[in-house]
Amino acid sequence: MKRTLALLLALVMVFALAACGSKDNASGSAGGDAAAPSGDGLTIFNSKMEIQSQMEEMAARYSEEKGIPVEVYYSSDTVAAHMSTRYASNEPYALAMVDAKDIYSLGPEHAVDLSGEQWVGDTTQAISVDGKVLGFPVCVEARGILYNGDAIKEATGKDFDPSTIKTTADFKALLEDIAAGGMELPVGVQKEDWSLGAHFLQQVYEMQQDPDAFIAGIKDGSIKLADDPVFNALMDTFDLLKEYNYAKDAPISAEREVMEMMLAEGDLCFKFGGNWDWSDMVDTDYTENLGMMPVPSDLSDYNTMLVGGGSKYFFVDNSVSEEQQQMAKDFLNWLVYDEEGQDFLVNECALVPAFSNITLPVSDPLGASVKSFADAGNLIADYRYAPDDHYAKNGASFQKYLAGQIDRAGLADEITAYWATAEVGAH
Amino acid sequence: MKQNTLSNKIKQYLMFGGVGTALFLCVVAVPFIYGLYLTLTSWDGVSASKPFVGFANFAAAFKDTTYWQAMGRTVIYSAFAVILINVVAFVLAYLVTSGIKGQNFFRAGFFVPNLIGGIVLGYVWKFVFNRAFVAIFNSTSLLSTPNGALFCLIFVSVWQYAGYMMLIYVAGFMSVSPDVKEAAMIDGCTPAQAMRNVTIPLMRSSFVQCIFLSITRCFVVYDVNLSLTKGEPFGSSVLAAMHVYNQAFTYKNYGLGQAEALILFLVCAIVGVTQVMIGKKGEVEA
Repeated sequence: MKRTLALLLALVMVFALAACGSKDNASGSAGGDAAAPSGDGLTIFNSKMEIQSQMEEMAARYSEEKGIPVEVYYSSDTVAAHMSTRYASNEPYALAMVDAKDIYSLGPEHAVDLSGEQWVGDTTQAISVDGKVLGFPVCVEARGILYNGDAIKEATGKDFDPSTIKTTADFKALLEDIAAGGMELPVGVQKEDWSLGAHFLQQVYEMQQDPDAFIAGIKDGSIKLADDPVFNALMDTFDLLKEYNYAKDAPISAEREVMEMMLAEGDLCFKFGGNWDWSDMVDTDYTENLGMMPVPSDLSDYNTMLVGGGSKYFFVDNSVSEEQQQMAKDFLNWLVYDEEGQDFLVNECALVPAFSNITLPVSDPLGASVKSFADAGNLIADYRYAPDDHYAKNGASFQKYLAGQIDRAGLADEITAYWATAEVGAH
Repeated sequence: MKQNTLSNKIKQYLMFGGVGTALFLCVVAVPFIYGLYLTLTSWDGVSASKPFVGFANFAAAFKDTTYWQAMGRTVIYSAFAVILINVVAFVLAYLVTSGIKGQNFFRAGFFVPNLIGGIVLGYVWKFVFNRAFVAIFNSTSLLSTPNGALFCLIFVSVWQYAGYMMLIYVAGFMSVSPDVKEAAMIDGCTPAQAMRNVTIPLMRSSFVQCIFLSITRCFVVYDVNLSLTKGEPFGSSVLAAMHVYNQAFTYKNYGLGQAEALILFLVCAIVGVTQVMIGKKGEVEA
């Protein structure tokens, strides 16, 4: 009896370990990489991992020049989780870089109103909540079709001018040309749920006159997604991408890194994506004429525009001292108006600035495309209020469509079914 | 000094078991109870407020069809994986105790996959399934079909755990004294009969242990699931633990995720304990 009891007790402990271990790990490591910000001075939270070393170097220079202590922190946790531990332990950063959605969730409670700042007039991407400017846009990111002009020229024999490709028919004719010129399957289609569900599908909302009303219409059944002209126009284009997909026999095992390399080196002509793809393409043996163009479609209002906007936002915390708040504001102005600050953003960090007064040329070709569309006002605002499970669930449905398991009506049904129970985020 | 007073007993206990008890309370008992409390809230994992909602999360968990699909998939996965892990491990153990040349080398070799972490192992096999096999057999990747992806998960789990379970079976084989086998042979048993009627019954505790370990590990598997398939294609290879994680951290329904984790824990506990009870009943000693 005693033996059985001891065994049972041991089992319970093992179970408790197994059950708790798996779910508590993630929350337990919160803030592990960032030490507590110390007292006064300018404390900055950076959430763009790829620019952390540049941020640290810049902080050292800035601190020497201005005579104030500057410290930069980074965490590998998700931004929202990290910020919540900071606020829970009452150790906020003077200046924190977060995602757009975090400005909406944290801003009203924690951010300083920046409406009076000069830079507000030089950007279209700042985030305002209830009439107060709370978020400073760190950079612009946009999505569209990435092209390799050299590969297209090699196949068609003609110089490629992206502005000639507007409608689905234009695009189809070009793809046929390229196929006839020897590259039979010149397109890469990513299977990632975020690419299909959060990027391609969301364009269906973004290209509506009023995305919120459109989603409300789908929810209450007054709009039939399967009959929606925007949905159908974009799906026509998607069908074209799918037809010319180099991995059309096994679209679900196609790998993004391979696709990016093939595009950069001229083994593909097109891929749906965004300027973030550059961080993987920069290490390849890329050819000269790379760029981004709008997704071709029969939606004449939108087929000359990329979709995107500010990505990553700074906000100034309202609980730190007046002095620190001023330091943070000065720093933001330095980024926008000081030559050194501009150089830091554009050249050292290779970001696309969100400010029209910054005229430094963007070095990477995809970023340069985004910058030219942004400066010309040709960006469709991205929709930021989809629920957190939107991309995963609808991305899975879209993957089925990509793999040919359901048809367009089936996809529309699954998306409609998703929205029947989902709620858009507050904004 | 009296040895048997209560305070003395407590002192003794604290001296020997105090540190362990404190640690157990801090890292297991307290988080577990706090977790139970969180199942009764609609906390999103971020905000400061944790609204109390009673048993609404459990009601929602029972209505969450994707969760039950993931659970069903986990049961299928576990059933196949547990049987295969133990069959393979038993056969390997038999081979490496039968006196073949270089058996210590083989023992070490079969155990090595278990030393590689699940995450790394998943990436290694992802490469093998997606690139190597595709190039060699000129076929599409197994990982791109729902059944194929589940097969790959089972395959990799067997590869990972068979070596570990093999060690337990090896210990089992070693514990059976050669005398009883010899006696059986003298009595006219064939080697197969001796194995079935003498060795295996005496090794019963090894079976109970191995099956218990493999069931509990398979039910809560997450790392291989994440790195090998990431739930793809079309969310068809999301196992229960991954669904729980997504629910709590990605979809920000912490309370609901926690409730689903608790249900997973209960299912796993009931299956495991039942198996051990049944297994222990028939144990014999030589």
